[in-house]
Amino acid sequence: MTRYLDTLGTIILLELRQRIRSAAWIVLVIVVFVLVGVVTAMLWASISAFGGDAETAGVYSTIIFFVLLVGTLVTPAISGGAVNGDRDAGTLATTQVTLASAPQIVLGKFLAAWTVALTFLLASLPFLVFSVVAGGVRLDTLLASLGVLVLELGIVAAIGVGLSALMSRALFSVVTTYLTVAALSIGTLIAFTLGGLAFQSEVRSTYIGVDYSVGGEFDPQTGFPEQVECLPPETYEYLVPRFDYVWGILAANPYVVLADAAPTTFDSNGNPQDLFGTIATGVRAAQLAPELEMVTDECAAALAGDLDLLNDYETPQEVFERTVPSWFVGLLLHLLLAALALGGGIARTRTPAGRLPKGSRVA
Amino acid sequence: MTATPAHASSGAAIEVQGVARSFGDVHAVRDASFTAHAGSVTALIGPNGSGKTTLMLVLATLLAPDAGTVRIAGADPVRDARAVRQRMGWMPDVLGSWATLSVRQTLEMTGRLYELTPVQSRERARELIELVGLESLADQPTRVLSRGQKQRLSLARALVHRPEVLLLDEPASGLDPAARVDLRVLVRRLAAEGVAVLVSSHVLAELDEMADAAVYLDQGVTASAERIESSRAGARQWRIRAVDPAALSAALASEGFESVGQDHLGTLVSVASETDAAALLARLVSAGVAVSAFGPAVGDLEHTFLDLARGERPEEAR
Repeated sequence: MTRYLDTLGTIILLELRQRIRSAAWIVLVIVVFVLVGVVTAMLWASISAFGGDAETAGVYSTIIFFVLLVGTLVTPAISGGAVNGDRDAGTLATTQVTLASAPQIVLGKFLAAWTVALTFLLASLPFLVFSVVAGGVRLDTLLASLGVLVLELGIVAAIGVGLSALMSRALFSVVTTYLTVAALSIGTLIAFTLGGLAFQSEVRSTYIGVDYSVGGEFDPQTGFPEQVECLPPETYEYLVPRFDYVWGILAANPYVVLADAAPTTFDSNGNPQDLFGTIATGVRAAQLAPELEMVTDECAAALAGDLDLLNDYETPQEVFERTVPSWFVGLLLHLLLAALALGGGIARTRTPAGRLPKGSRVA
Repeated sequence: MTATPAHASSGAAIEVQGVARSFGDVHAVRDASFTAHAGSVTALIGPNGSGKTTLMLVLATLLAPDAGTVRIAGADPVRDARAVRQRMGWMPDVLGSWATLSVRQTLEMTGRLYELTPVQSRERARELIELVGLESLADQPTRVLSRGQKQRLSLARALVHRPEVLLLDEPASGLDPAARVDLRVLVRRLAAEGVAVLVSSHVLAELDEMADAAVYLDQGVTASAERIESSRAGARQWRIRAVDPAALSAALASEGFESVGQDHLGTLVSVASETDAAALLARLVSAGVAVSAFGPAVGDLEHTFLDLARGERPEEAR
């Protein structure tokens, strides 16, 4: 076991020595550091515009999303050429003839790519610490969001390394990794929107109004006439998109996974205080089926003298609390994708090699 | 001592029987059979595209054969690749190196991948750098190495775990004459220490001086021992140089030998066997021709190789 880990460690070290010392990596880390710094400064400056009692939670969550964005943009480039790049350079076969096995080679490259991806998180750490120290971030929110972020970066690294072992050309595997990330991040949004629009339902909305032309003086308190006369019910029909049929697609979105997994704090009005909560409640609301029979009985409210009867507004917190979380489904799906990519990559890297794809080489 | 095999064994170190390997429609190796012994250098000879590198990759546990059996130091590369890898060193024809690592780091890392301890790896790297003469470049990144220097690094890498079977794919290409001599001396020394060395090369003259035995591979098929024997025994050209070329021509004509060619080094004649050659020389000398050089025009390996490549039966050539 220690011998196994020893060799795995050597592969990781070998990868890191080649990647971390590269000028491209240093430039990227500096760029990430500067970018996150600028974003933090701008968020901080704009806090007064928001008001609220826990502004730094908003800053913290925005930085985390930004790091996820940068991380998923950079990681495919780091990981997508790990194995086939070595094959092109002629260094894969010389590693394969040593006592390092295919799982050690592929897993070592994956762990190294993950480590490099995490250095970008490390570059933004000063700003995360700043937003945490400034207060307003709950410990469970901190742990959950960081945990999911670290996992998601690992998932992208795994997909990249797996694809680089499965595909012969480094260019194609890098692009395919990017496409996978794009499919999850943007593709799910598009599919969700189009899917919701494709399934539409007809809503029958009935409105029972008050006849303001009769009934004498208006009550200055309620705005209703003294003698309330109901108008005959009017019925309208219109179409609404059925996002409740397709909300599951969004569960596969890494940003949604992150938002849904991080516990949110709501203010006294039931509004989320950070970006996690804002996105999570938005996605959760899509779970609710629209009311297909709507009755707006203004007249009944007027007769009762109680305007609140008209108001069936639910706060985001209420929506959040009566819907189900989905982050673990999405995360599980991502982990499955990562495991598939790595498993396929290991199978393809095994030697002695049997069937080889057309145009590929051994050494 | 720097290059002793971990546990040298006697007998066949490489046994190949009926090996075939194809890539789609391309039959790279059709039917290869040979044995190579511990303590000897075996040349693997064949024209471009004859399947030498594919066969090397099968022996190096990188490619699975479609048919046939292979034993390297007694182990099967397909069933027990790890056992083979512990005892086999492979120097590929493609010179890949970890570009940002130094020569020393490359060898240390390779040692670690062969499950040597950090201390052993460092010690072994130091020995090998000295062995292949890369001391002055030891701490340079490998990307600055020339082709010949990379070739030496590649050889050192193949020797890290003191293998008892050494597979060298085109080791001499890119080496300057002095480095070739060094390579030959090193390979002979390894063989003397009990390593079984299989060398593939196009430079046949080079192999002639290095190899004890030869395996001829043509279109993926190894030539049988009988065919090699008949090719070796077949008529070959000898080059004769005399102080007076005219006298030589006259003497050759009177002996019934026809000059088959003339180059800047002398006159070429076709002679059936070594005995006939010796007799011819004696007669030329006794006829008063001042012979200054008398020898085979091409080396043993080249002669056999060319003969096999032509696909001629020795009887027809005679």
